Amino acid sequence: MAKILGIDLGTTNSAMAVVEVGQPRILENKEGMRTTPSVVAMGKNGERYVGVTAKRQAVTNPANTIFSVKRLIGRRFKDDEVQRDKKLLPYEIREASNGGVEVKMGDKWHKPEEISAMILQKLKADAEDRLGEKITEAIITVPAYFDDSQRKATKDAGEIAGLTVKRVINEPTAAALAYGLNKKKDEKVVVYDFGGGTFDISVLEIGDDTIEVKATGGDTHLGGDDIDQKIIGYLINEFKKDQGVDVSKDQLAIQRLKDAAEKAKHELSSTLQTEVNVPFLTADASGPKHFSMAFTRAKLEELVGDLVTRSIELTKKTLDEAGFKTGDINEIILVGGQTRMPLIVEEVKKLFGKEPHKDINPDEVVALGAAVQGGIMQGEIRDVLLLDVTPLSLGIETLGQVFTKMIEKNTTVPVSKTQIFSTAADNQPSVEIHILQGERAMAHDNKTLGRFILDGVPPAPRGVPQVEVSFDIDANGILHVKAKDKATGKEQSIKIEGSSGLSEDEKKRMTADAEKHAAEDAKKKELAETRNLGETLAYTTEKMVKENEAPDAPAGAGKIKEDDKKELNDKIEKVRSALKSDDLGEIKKQTEELSKSAQRVGGELYKQTPSAEASGPKQEEPKEEPKY
Amino acid sequence: MDDEIKNDLSGQEKPTEVSETDKVKAQAQEYLDNWKRERADFLNYKKDETKRLGEFVKFANKAVILEAIDILDDLERAEKEINNPGLNQIVAKFHNLLKIFEVERISTEGVFDPLLHEAVEGTGGDKLEEVRAGYTMHGKVIRPARVKLTK
Repeated sequence: MAKILGIDLGTTNSAMAVVEVGQPRILENKEGMRTTPSVVAMGKNGERYVGVTAKRQAVTNPANTIFSVKRLIGRRFKDDEVQRDKKLLPYEIREASNGGVEVKMGDKWHKPEEISAMILQKLKADAEDRLGEKITEAIITVPAYFDDSQRKATKDAGEIAGLTVKRVINEPTAAALAYGLNKKKDEKVVVYDFGGGTFDISVLEIGDDTIEVKATGGDTHLGGDDIDQKIIGYLINEFKKDQGVDVSKDQLAIQRLKDAAEKAKHELSSTLQTEVNVPFLTADASGPKHFSMAFTRAKLEELVGDLVTRSIELTKKTLDEAGFKTGDINEIILVGGQTRMPLIVEEVKKLFGKEPHKDINPDEVVALGAAVQGGIMQGEIRDVLLLDVTPLSLGIETLGQVFTKMIEKNTTVPVSKTQIFSTAADNQPSVEIHILQGERAMAHDNKTLGRFILDGVPPAPRGVPQVEVSFDIDANGILHVKAKDKATGKEQSIKIEGSSGLSEDEKKRMTADAEKHAAEDAKKKELAETRNLGETLAYTTEKMVKENEAPDAPAGAGKIKEDDKKELNDKIEKVRSALKSDDLGEIKKQTEELSKSAQRVGGELYKQTPSAEASGPKQEEPKEEPKY
Repeated sequence: MDDEIKNDLSGQEKPTEVSETDKVKAQAQEYLDNWKRERADFLNYKKDETKRLGEFVKFANKAVILEAIDILDDLERAEKEINNPGLNQIVAKFHNLLKIFEVERISTEGVFDPLLHEAVEGTGGDKLEEVRAGYTMHGKVIRPARVKLTK
């Protein structure tokens, strides 16, 4: 089945995605980038550039480089918006015979939909190149405030590009689809979209099978570019203060400051302070001038705070218009690269009193949602809606109360996993299977789902019996756990229903708990594992000593020297006494000591064995450490 | 035409009772088809993923290389200002390192090519003056050369 291309035809950048194996995925363009600048240009010799190449040549050819055409599409020339943008855009714009808009590129006048079609054509060609198959159908997104004429023109652009536009959907709706919110019932969703050049706020209401736009608002001239401008302005001023040189007219210096500003802005999303270093920025009679400055997140927030406040004010206004209070809103989605800024996340959170969705790349969420819409229309997503994932990890308790995961969290079901375990003591007649759910490292910190005992394990030294434990979650979310003794074939099982039936709160609490205790849990687990290692080594060394004691040493075994025997026994005793405490360092130290001696003595015994060289060491099958 | 329709209708008039077995059979077939489709999708996805992974590994160092190139820019700027053999050696070492990773400098001789160059100034002429070096990695542009167009 041919794929439907989901396209986010943006003002500044565009992106595309398809559904593969039930999941939406962004397609990179020919240049290997995940977004494509929405720019088209005509070169001197009539060659056409689309995307990043058009952007790169823009300063040499401003009159024939068309960008932000989305601001003009489907509008009347006399519209206030068009008149305002006409003053800002460097290319020529005129009224078309039908009262619409035309832009000049090269010698020809084009309708905005023709320009958009050129962008769509590139996206289509690049997608075909990536996928190795023809693309004929697409879903294209538009801002929620687009009127019929703007939607129709966008659809026409798709048709000109050779695409059958299956549907034109709203950008906020696409974002909600990407987060799977269409599956929720009776929810109110706010989509806060802070893009490169525009700020859009939308209030959606999700009904039974519909997503309705209740209100839209925003500012078509507020975006990330304004934030960048503020930072660059600040850097220019700081340089002037520090070095007494004004670089505001020096294009090359500004370009370098722009790069530094962008880098600093990105870094300050994850750190509280960064260094802006631009050596050899400029020079005067006294020699080269360097720019070096510490830039804090607090300073950045001070610089752009008013822009963020404006966006929050607009959000409140739009909510009012929709007739909702902040408390009525169930979910908030962040869209647009600028929303990575911690200040924005904080302010949005403060306004609504809840955490906004921001897991999906905010530059890509709209295109992904468009692909999801295509998937739903094709029936590809149907299966995804049915397939569940395990909300938390499932596993069993093993030696030292360690929680050993069998099925990791977020695994798509149905799924089954099998692992071989063994016994912890000699002649252990039975093993207990303690089934747990959670993310914590130690068994007792997780939730018990059930237990059963597999008995009748034939007497054998520890670590020898092989018990195969399998976890199977069927499509209905029912967990079947089975343990089987491989020697006797004896098995025991349990069926646990509702292993995924956790409430959203329970799930969140358990995941948050695991994060909170991660460091402390890791320590506990290390201690348990070190303990296991110590115990096992003490046990095997003791066994080696016994087996090599004359007179009933097994055939081929060497004879252990009295001194060695004493040394090993002493060290075994030291390990065992260390094991009585919780001193990780001490257990490690004593285990290491014992290991060294055991290796030395073992080596000597091996040399004594007459047949050693001839037959070589007996290779044992690698086995799991004894765990019960 | 009318006859055809009549024939069709007459064909349908016969009581066609769909037995339970047939229903189940059809359902089984549908499930099998879906399963096969799902398997095929998965195998194709795996193939694509392998290809993507290969590409990913090839360019895994890209982010680090870009950061390094940024420092190299500064070293080259310093080299222009300060003629110091030690510094020249460091820059040469840097270039050798890039060669090992198949990172090559983009030429700014000849005409402006937006596939390789990014213009930052000038509208008049068509002579290129490099203001920041560009690089390719395994033949792909990882950073275009920034140029000024002069007469």
